[in-house]
This record gives sequence, C-alpha cells and structure tokens, in this order.
Amino acid sequence: MNKTMETDVLIIGGGVTGTGIARDLSLRGLNCIVIDKSDLNAGASGGNHGLLHSGARYVGSDPEAAAECKDELEISKKNVGHCIEDTGGLFVAVKGDDEKYIADFPGMCKTSGVYCKKIDVSAAKEMEPALSDDMIAAYEVNDASINPFKLSIENMNDAVLRGSQFLSFSKVVQFKIVNNCIEDVSVINQMNGKTIRIKARTYVNASGAWAAIVAAMAGLTINMVLSKGTLLVTSKRMTKRVINRLRKATDGDILVPGGVVSILGTTSVRVESPDNIYPTINEVDQIISEGEKIIPALKTCRYIRAYSGARPLVSEGASEDDRTVSRGFTLRDHKEDGLDNFITITGGKLSTYRLMAEKASDLVCWKHSIFSKCLTKEIALPSTKSGEWSEPGVRINEPFKSAKQNDPILCECEMVPQSAIDTVINSIQETQGRPDLISVGLRTRIGKGPCQGTFCSLRILSHMVDSDVIRDHSDIKGLKHFLNERWKGEQSLLWDQALVQSSLKEMIHSGLFGLELAGNPGLIE
Amino acid sequence: MKTQKNMDCDILVIGAGLAGMTAAARASDLGLKTIQIGNSSVLIFASGLFDLLGVYPIDSGRTLTNPYPAIKKLQNDYPCHPYSKVSETQINEGFQFVMDFLNSAALKYHLPDSMNKNQTNNNRVNKKILTSVGTLKPTYMVPETFSKGCDIHKEQKNLLIVDFKGLKGFSAKQAAAGLGMKKGEVYTLSIDSPEGTGDLNPVPLAKLFESKAFIQKFSDKILSFSDKVDMVGMPAVCGIHNSLEIVKELETKFGVDVFEIPGMPPSIPGLRLKNAFEKSLSKSNVTFLSNSKVVFDAMDQDHFILTAMNDNFETRIRAQCVILASGRFPGGGLFAKRKIILETIFNLPVFQPKTRHQWHQLNFFDPKGHMINQAGLETDDTFRPLDKTGSPVFENLYAAGSILAHNDWVRLKSGAGVSLISAYTAVNSFYKKTILNEK
Repeated sequence: MNKTMETDVLIIGGGVTGTGIARDLSLRGLNCIVIDKSDLNAGASGGNHGLLHSGARYVGSDPEAAAECKDELEISKKNVGHCIEDTGGLFVAVKGDDEKYIADFPGMCKTSGVYCKKIDVSAAKEMEPALSDDMIAAYEVNDASINPFKLSIENMNDAVLRGSQFLSFSKVVQFKIVNNCIEDVSVINQMNGKTIRIKARTYVNASGAWAAIVAAMAGLTINMVLSKGTLLVTSKRMTKRVINRLRKATDGDILVPGGVVSILGTTSVRVESPDNIYPTINEVDQIISEGEKIIPALKTCRYIRAYSGARPLVSEGASEDDRTVSRGFTLRDHKEDGLDNFITITGGKLSTYRLMAEKASDLVCWKHSIFSKCLTKEIALPSTKSGEWSEPGVRINEPFKSAKQNDPILCECEMVPQSAIDTVINSIQETQGRPDLISVGLRTRIGKGPCQGTFCSLRILSHMVDSDVIRDHSDIKGLKHFLNERWKGEQSLLWDQALVQSSLKEMIHSGLFGLELAGNPGLIE
Repeated sequence: MKTQKNMDCDILVIGAGLAGMTAAARASDLGLKTIQIGNSSVLIFASGLFDLLGVYPIDSGRTLTNPYPAIKKLQNDYPCHPYSKVSETQINEGFQFVMDFLNSAALKYHLPDSMNKNQTNNNRVNKKILTSVGTLKPTYMVPETFSKGCDIHKEQKNLLIVDFKGLKGFSAKQAAAGLGMKKGEVYTLSIDSPEGTGDLNPVPLAKLFESKAFIQKFSDKILSFSDKVDMVGMPAVCGIHNSLEIVKELETKFGVDVFEIPGMPPSIPGLRLKNAFEKSLSKSNVTFLSNSKVVFDAMDQDHFILTAMNDNFETRIRAQCVILASGRFPGGGLFAKRKIILETIFNLPVFQPKTRHQWHQLNFFDPKGHMINQAGLETDDTFRPLDKTGSPVFENLYAAGSILAHNDWVRLKSGAGVSLISAYTAVNSFYKKTILNEK
C-alpha cells in the first residue's frame, strides 16, 4: 500500500502561479501541497524576461491586460518590493518604425490608464546613453524588473511557514475519479521512483505550458498553443531602465536589466511540446539583429547564455500570430466538464501572477464554501535567507564580507560563498528535496556568470560530497546533467569570449576529467 | 614613448604553451638563434599529464590501453590528422626529447614501461590516473610524482587520500568514490587549512610544502594511518620547485608510497612545467618576449618582418622561420566572430565547418565531439600551413599544437602529444631543409 498524504488543496505546478496560489490559500487558512515534476520555476516562470509590465506593452493589443498590469505593478511594488528593482522604463522608436503606432501610443495609454510621458530624444539619450542615434521618439513608462526565482521561493517559503508543503520532482501519474470527483492523485517521485497518493478536497492544475497534458490525464481537453520565447543574457548591464521598442510587439524588442546583467528578447515560435525546448542559433541571431537597432552595443557585446520558455496560450480558435492570442489568463472550473473538484489556471503572464492566484484561490474557496477575502493585496511577502542568493549580483559589491573564516567563495563569478550553498542545501532538505547541482543552481546564482559553471560546479560538488550531502558516490551523473543544462543555454551563442570560455570548459571537464566517458563501460575495469 | 629595437633570429616561436615551449627548446637545442613570444602562464591550465592518444575512435566511448595500434588506425582513417604526418619514431623521439629537456631542469617525468621489454617503444601503454572528481584519466607520460598512482584502481593496496579544507574542488571523499570498485580499503582524511582562512589557494599551499617544518607538522597528522595503508594520495600541491624530493621526503616520513592526484586549474604541475621550461630556456640562447602582441608586417625577401608590442617595448623582428604555436581560441591563435573563424596573425585560411550551426552539438557530451574542435590550420607533411590551392603559404612558416586542424585533442586525449610532436617535427624540418643545406 502506497503512502497517502492528505491536504486541503493539491496544486500541480511549482511556477509563479502555483506557488502564488499556495501562499494565497495559506493566508486564508487552507493547507496546500504543491507538486512539480521538476522543480520551482522549471517552465515559463523561469524562462522569461523578469519584467513587470507597466501595461504600455499591451495598450494596442489588449487594453484590459494593460490595465491589469498597471494595477498589479502597484501592488507588487508595495508587497514584494524585495523581489523587484524599480527601474522605470522607456518606449523607444527608431527610424523606419511605424509612425502611426508612435502617434497613437499616448492616446492608447491614456485609454487604459497607463502612465506614459513623452521625452525629448536628446533627454532620452542622456538618460540611457546606450540608445541608438537613430531614435526618433521616446516615452517614459513605469516598467520594473522582478526576480521570478526569488518570487516563487519566497511565496513557497511563506506558504510552508503556514503549513503547506512543496514536493519537487513529483509527477502526476494518475487521477482516480469517482462520481465526478477526483478521489486522489498518484504521484511518482522521479528521484527515488516511489509512488504516493495525495488526497485533497480540491485539485488545482497550475502547470502552465503542461496544463493540457495534465488535464488530459483527468480525461479533459484544453485547447492550447505553445509559443516558445527565447531570451539572451548579456555579460554586463546595458541600461538602467527597461527599454521597449515602440511598435507592435515582435521579436527582439525588449531589454530588461536584472542586477548586473541585461536580458534581451524575445521570439515567438510555435512548439508542439513544452519539454526540452532550447534556444536556436537562428533565434539568437534574429534577436540580436533586432535588438541592435535600439541599442547598437548589443551587436558586439558579450552574451553569457540564452534560454527559452514556452508561453501557454489558451486558444479559442486558430490564429496566425501567437502574439495576438490573448495574454490574459484562463481560469476554468472543470465542474462544467464533469469534474467537480478540479480547476485549471493557465495562460497569463508574470506581471499578473498575483491576480491569477487570487482568482484561482477565490474559486477554490467558493468550492469549499469558505468566504474569506484574498489577503495578498494587503500582506507583504516576507524575505527569507534561502531566497536571498537567487538575486543576481546580490553580493558583488560586498565580496569580502562573506569571505569570513572558513567560508570560501565557491562561485567566484557571482560571489556565492559556501555558507550560502549550505543555507540553500538545508532549505532543499527541509522540503524533502534532493540537493544536487541542479537544485542548488535553481535557488542561487551559481553557474549563471561568465564561466557558466566551469569552476563552481566542481567546487560545489566536491563540497557536497565532502560534507556528506551526497554520499558514497561522486555524483558524476549530476555534474554532467548540470553542465549539459548550462550548455543548452550556451551552445547557440558561442563566439568571441564566450567561445574561449566554453573551450576552457571542454578542456577541463572533457580533456582532463573525461566526463564524456564517465559511466560508460571500460572506464573502470 | 615606447622603447624600440630591432632583433634578428633564425626562428621566431609564437606561443608559450606546450607546443611553443617544445619548439623553443628544440630550436635552441639545435643551436638556432631563437626568439619566443607568448604568455607562459597559460601552462597553469595544463594538468601536467602528457597524453598521447587516450580515446579512438572518437565516439568509441572507451579509453585505450595501447595507443600505438590506434595511432596506426587513425593514420589510415584521417590522413589530415597531425599524427598522420609523423612516424612512430618521430613520436617517440618527440616524447624522449621533452622528457630529457624537463629532466635537465630537474622536473622528472616518467614514460610508461614497455609491455614487453624486448620490444621497442610501440609497446608502451597508457596508464590511468585517478582525478579529483573520481574519474580515471588515460595518459601516457606523467610526472614522477604521479607515477605511483598509475593504475591505482587495479591495485589491491590499502590507500589513504588526503585533502585540505579550503582547497576548493578537491575532496578526498570524492576522489575515493571513483575507486568504489577497487579492492583494498580506501581511507580519507581532511586536514585543516594551514592558512587558517576560508580560501586556500594551491600556490601558497604548494610553497608551504617547501618548508621542512610544515612537512613535519603535516606528517604528524598522517602518521596514525601508516599502519593501515600502503599508499597515500595527495592533491598535486607537493611543492613547486622540488616536488619529487618533497614526495620522497613524505614517503620517508610516512614509510609508505606517496603520489599526487591531478585536479582543476590553477594547476601546480602546470606551474612546474612553466618554471622548468622557463628556467632551461633562459639558460640557452632563447630570447623571451613576454606578454607581447605580435603583428605580421611584411616579407623582406625570404625573411618575416614582425613587430612584437607590449606597454613598454616595441620590437621589430626579422626571422628566417616562424613557428606558429599561438593556440586555438583560449590562446588567441584562432578567433571566432559570429559567423567565421579567423587566424589572428597571418590571416591564414582556417579549415572550419560551413556555418555556426555546425560548430557545436546540442549535447555538451555528444559522443562525436563538437565540430568546431576540428577547425584550424591544414598543413603539409612538415606542418607548413597551406593556402587554398594546397601549397604552403610561406616557405618557412610552420604551425604546431592546438591550432592544427582535424585535431579534437580534448576528446581524443591527445593534447600534449600533438603539441610536442608537431613542434618538435616542425623545427626539425626547418633545420634539415634550410640550415643543413646552408652548411
């Protein structure tokens, strides 16, 4: 007999929506279990710009979404300020851009109630010297950047503090359905192969791009299209503010600063499956060739890595351009489909994650006949120690403070000391997770600097073996997995200095350590 | 104002990695007036192990015990590979030359024994060396301080592996885990950082081993294991200048065999190589211009005119022969723009995949390796780079080391072998062709 866990609400998907719902419901007194087949933010929540839209991006295509963004931005600034950098933003047009859109822009902002202020081109150039000399119009807006990893970690931490749980690498294998209700869900732990059953009153499908796959397991159909977006990380921060191209949304038209780097994106490519998506060389070249039109230095700067996320878009019919499918979210009560205690929330965007969580939580409470008000508008999200190391460049300015007695810096690119790794390992162990390079990497900045894990992977792995976090084997498999995950983000942009770095990585990990052969027969006789 | 001067030489070696050092050593050995330009600190990325051929075919997924039959097969399969331009005798001479040269600088290296004593070198076999991450690396010629650790996984002896707290990336437990299937006990011991701080860098640690007092203190900590173990494995930090003496002294103190284990850079065995080459070359007639940028200006009749520049000096060099050992991407010999790979000094034609799409595989550990590592200079049988028509670009320009095309040394575990053999052969070719004829 498999172990059975009981909870009020089972949330499937540990992205910003799932963890946001867990916090929302926990604040209302419900216990939740959040499961993810991988780990926190493994889907689109970890594969986006980290941008809190002011709303101006959507004033032309989706005024309702624009207004939502505006409201949520204010709430976020107030309540999750520690995950946000209030950068401000600019919308910038260059020679050749659609003059009608430029002329209509302030009016459309006004209609949606989104702030924008016209700025002289020369003043904009002074504010952001990296902008192109071909600039013909500029507007100031209220965009901000957000760290989605910290956001999910802190939302989950707060939910855990209130009695909820997070189970990583836990994948739904079966819904047991009796009399129009889900009776329980069988969940396999992908690390140890053990199956458990989780019994809840309500089941929330918050699995983002996987929502149709999860719903299908319960016998339901959701029409979704997946749109892959690819983003590039520069080695240095290019601008102070978020820079948007002032035109209809298309490729390579947003540059978002995130700590000491900038993120340039994105693309929109239809994909069939949300699994195993990665940036391609064509996408990278396309993004750069568009980006360099507003910021010429993007042509020659060094890129550290690229990554992709799949936008889950719920479609009502066929559409020519995925960007025109509503970026608003979809909340579906599957009672209409014959399953009383199952709901799906998907679509939407990072900027409105809290609102999505609120609406989903409202529906759950309504089903439970609980009439409590959402509190995430009022109660600020606390900041905890285990979330702190996900911040890009958090310690860059104070490296020597952390290099105290017996606290070596294990990741020198991002200045992450051993004590930070230990804090994160503890927090993973507390949630029954398995600490390895991948799970530590998700919660810290390790492997995200210029060396892309060449050195820190070895230092951190040897520390984990040395301190018995990993026992009786050297976890070469975990090391290879980590390096390969990094590689997916590197392989499309290896030229100039990035190629020098990757050559070095090959020299060490392949040339010296022969990791490509490890695990094959013949290595150990 | 920069100081300017003019220099003349028989041979200009560009590069100070293993290929450049071997070329300079051979050139001075032959009595040639030699100038060398480069940055020798690249050698701290060298493990100190000299590979010949550890894997073949590239996607075989396994390591070779006997490299010589595999070299024969490689020569048949890939006539463009650097090894296909040399004979077995040249390979052996190259290794012997470098071994002797380093020995003369008091850095003792060890060539593997022949399987059959009556036969020639071609029965010399690869050895496997335990690395800090617990893998076993096939290699050929090893520093004497490593030699007792060769094929340790086959030994039944009881073993102690030692690490130092704060020496990042080296865990005795991790190295020991790689010997999980070994017969005999494997103990581990972690020793407090002698520096008392968080980060313990390998260079100061290696320097500590050069003090008798430190060795005594260190030995006291190991002594309790002396009865239990037959061998002690250490991170490769046993001194910089006299490592073999230090290892021998440790052996005397412990009463058991001691060997060093290679780990991530910065590498002390690499630093020892750098020092040994520099020491011996400085005693010979080689002029070393450190950290200079080189520009090729023109040909003056049969001579190359180049300018070497750094912040303070500008040296105009007239050279009869140039050995281009400027490396691949990390060394700066090749440079990759977004769409094309270029050679940086002479703008020589570079063999390369057609577009960036073919440079890298999607899987970092793809068994075929990454096609960009086949990129480089194609040469004739004496290592002279070729133009598009297949003729040498210059009569006396040679290339050596990792800049050579068709040479994925990272995957074939052949980096040192290709470097030293191509450098040794290139210098010999120039000498035979030009200098001997003049005489």
